[in-house]
Amino acid sequence: MNPIRKQRLYALIAILLGSLLATWLVVSALSENMNLFYSPTEMKEANINQDVLIRAGGMVKPGSIIKSKESLNVSFIVTDYQNELVINYQGILPDLFAENAGVVVRGNLGSDGNFNAIEVLAKHDENYMPPEVAKLIDNKK
Amino acid sequence: MIPELGHIILITHLILCLIGGTMPLLAEYTGLKIFQIPIKKLSVFLFLLISISFLSLVYSFLVDDFSVAYVAQNSNINLPDYYKFAATWGAHEGSLVLWILAMNAWIVGFLFFTHAKDRDFLASVFSISCQVMFAFSLFTLFTSNPFERILPIPPLNGADLNPSLQDFAFTVHPPLLYFGYSGLLIPFAIAVSAMLFSKETKEWAAYSRPWTLFSCSFLTLGIGLGSWWAYYELGWGGWWFWDPVENAAFVPWLLSVALFHSLITSQNRGIFGKWSILLSIFAFATSLLGTFLVRSGILTSVHAFALDPERGLFILGILAFFIIGSLMIYSIKDFEHGEDKAYALTSKEFGFLLNNLLLVVLAVSILFGTIFPLIYEAVTNGKQISVGAPYFEIILFPFAIGLGLLQGVALYLSWEKSTSFDFVSRLLIESTSIFALIVLVLFVLFDNLYLNSFATIFLASWIAVGTLQVSKKRNLGYWDFLRKRLSVTLAHLGMAILVLGVGVVSSYSLEKEIILAPDDSIKFGDQVVKFESIEDSLGPNYFSKKAVISFDDGKDVSNLITEKRTYSPSGQLTTEAGIETEIFKDLYISMGDNLEDDIWSFKIQIKPFIRWIWLGALLISLGSFLAGIKQIRRLV
Repeated sequence: MNPIRKQRLYALIAILLGSLLATWLVVSALSENMNLFYSPTEMKEANINQDVLIRAGGMVKPGSIIKSKESLNVSFIVTDYQNELVINYQGILPDLFAENAGVVVRGNLGSDGNFNAIEVLAKHDENYMPPEVAKLIDNKK
Repeated sequence: MIPELGHIILITHLILCLIGGTMPLLAEYTGLKIFQIPIKKLSVFLFLLISISFLSLVYSFLVDDFSVAYVAQNSNINLPDYYKFAATWGAHEGSLVLWILAMNAWIVGFLFFTHAKDRDFLASVFSISCQVMFAFSLFTLFTSNPFERILPIPPLNGADLNPSLQDFAFTVHPPLLYFGYSGLLIPFAIAVSAMLFSKETKEWAAYSRPWTLFSCSFLTLGIGLGSWWAYYELGWGGWWFWDPVENAAFVPWLLSVALFHSLITSQNRGIFGKWSILLSIFAFATSLLGTFLVRSGILTSVHAFALDPERGLFILGILAFFIIGSLMIYSIKDFEHGEDKAYALTSKEFGFLLNNLLLVVLAVSILFGTIFPLIYEAVTNGKQISVGAPYFEIILFPFAIGLGLLQGVALYLSWEKSTSFDFVSRLLIESTSIFALIVLVLFVLFDNLYLNSFATIFLASWIAVGTLQVSKKRNLGYWDFLRKRLSVTLAHLGMAILVLGVGVVSSYSLEKEIILAPDDSIKFGDQVVKFESIEDSLGPNYFSKKAVISFDDGKDVSNLITEKRTYSPSGQLTTEAGIETEIFKDLYISMGDNLEDDIWSFKIQIKPFIRWIWLGALLISLGSFLAGIKQIRRLV
């Protein structure tokens, strides 16, 4: 083979191998780390596997925040103005977490129908609403 | 008056960009002298215009002109003057003006520092840049006019700048990023002109290299500062979140790194010409895509500042126009694309090829994960998902290993074919010794060994040894070293330091959420953490609860102050973390919630080697900047 063809072949093999490896990586990593989003209403309707990490969200219902005085346990209710979902969380809540603020939580659905969150997100602009939550509210209007 | 002046000048800028964007190309294709315009003078004049427009916006902020809607939304009478100034780019509209200013600055720089042997080529680069600026000015004026007035009754006071943005690092982070992003305009314009003029690969690559390096340098610094800011300002001690907007900056960064490495090959060997052109186009495209992702708010992100689909569509339109346009030129025009030269698997060329392959595939995978939620939503008719940080970490790891291993040997390789491989054994022995030394030091410092950090620590030693050994091997005198090897040594060493920082901080960090009443203490690692006192305090535009916490490791006691601030106009809460920085670790505390009376929750953390991440980024930025200057000096 002439040297230029040979080097083209090398390059081609390298590119093929690289893209194959990348595709395999992307597909396997994605299937494990894709978190579906459910509104409280969808949560009621869907049949959700309790072992799978999912996300939920809505507006924090006023008066629903219950904080423990001895531990970092907290529970609150998110609503999409049709259905409600109780969220349990252990940890420090973000500064922008407040009544009537939009939040997105990540975690598992418990067997009691409550949501056990491992992460609570409230974004750092007070006018900002996570797109998922904004969409929920738009749909209900 | 002043805002109107700024507005009119912005319109003038727009019109002149249209002239600058068309005339030189008309002159080239018709050959008519009347279309010839003095491009250097015009570029400077454009720069003056956009600067005045920008300054009039700054002025409106400084004098609290709340009749200007943008000022009213992002400033406040009580805001300290420095932040009034920085609030100019605190949101979307002002950012755009700064962005255009940055593009314009790069164009002026390019025209003045590239020797004018080939005037037509320069004119074409100028022309294409003007077209892009025209599109951005149009976008600004039609969808995001910063000078819009609230009339007839302006508000008495503004809504205030988002409190977490009232901070030094934040005020510098966006301009640096904008300069980084917009710098990619120059390689793009050069690539398109190179196709139009069928320019020789070696020649245009030489023009393009310094600006790609500068762009990369600014992006590195901008991203690094953003990460530092997130670390201390968001209050939770994280330094990278794989947020869509971070990815939107990371992807162009990866491509700019790939591009300047590819350009080295193109300039020296005349090969990879087509590839470098495509990379230039896509690096620029991803920087526009980044803007689109940030501005349209279609992805859940901590940065989404404007939820406006119209803006998103407009940017998508700009993106489509320039990308489709340049790709059409690429496919239709029969341009000169360099030479065919053979190179062996052990050659420098092949090293650069692997480097580019890894960087580009990594960039594509990250981009894919970032926009996958959009694809998924479209395909499943509205089902929403997010892609978690673990996805990106799983993806990054093998590529980082590959790139690091390559980086360690890369500097030893020769063009065409490497003949001597004596370096391998020395590299192995020396980097293993350094690795062992680092692990030992870590054991002494933190009394612990984490196997999962070994790969990254070894990689860091490998890169560092590879970089320093080559510099030593070449037997350069002190002065020659500074002249020839300084930039690459700094940048590659910076990468080693960064990798080490990332490896150590991800395994050796400690964190805990605790509840403390005043005078309570708790054991944490080798530290005794004690809640000393709490008091009320008043700032210029906020009031706060200030807690003093002491960390005692048996030898020294450090007092850390953490605050919970409530900003007065907005009522927004922010947490100011208390951080004690040492060479090998940071002590970090942030205030959580008030449980009752003076009992508070806190998050305490020990972050070993975290500073090394930003030190590494700083060195990379400095190295690429110096490399850019070196390339320019070759050209002038």
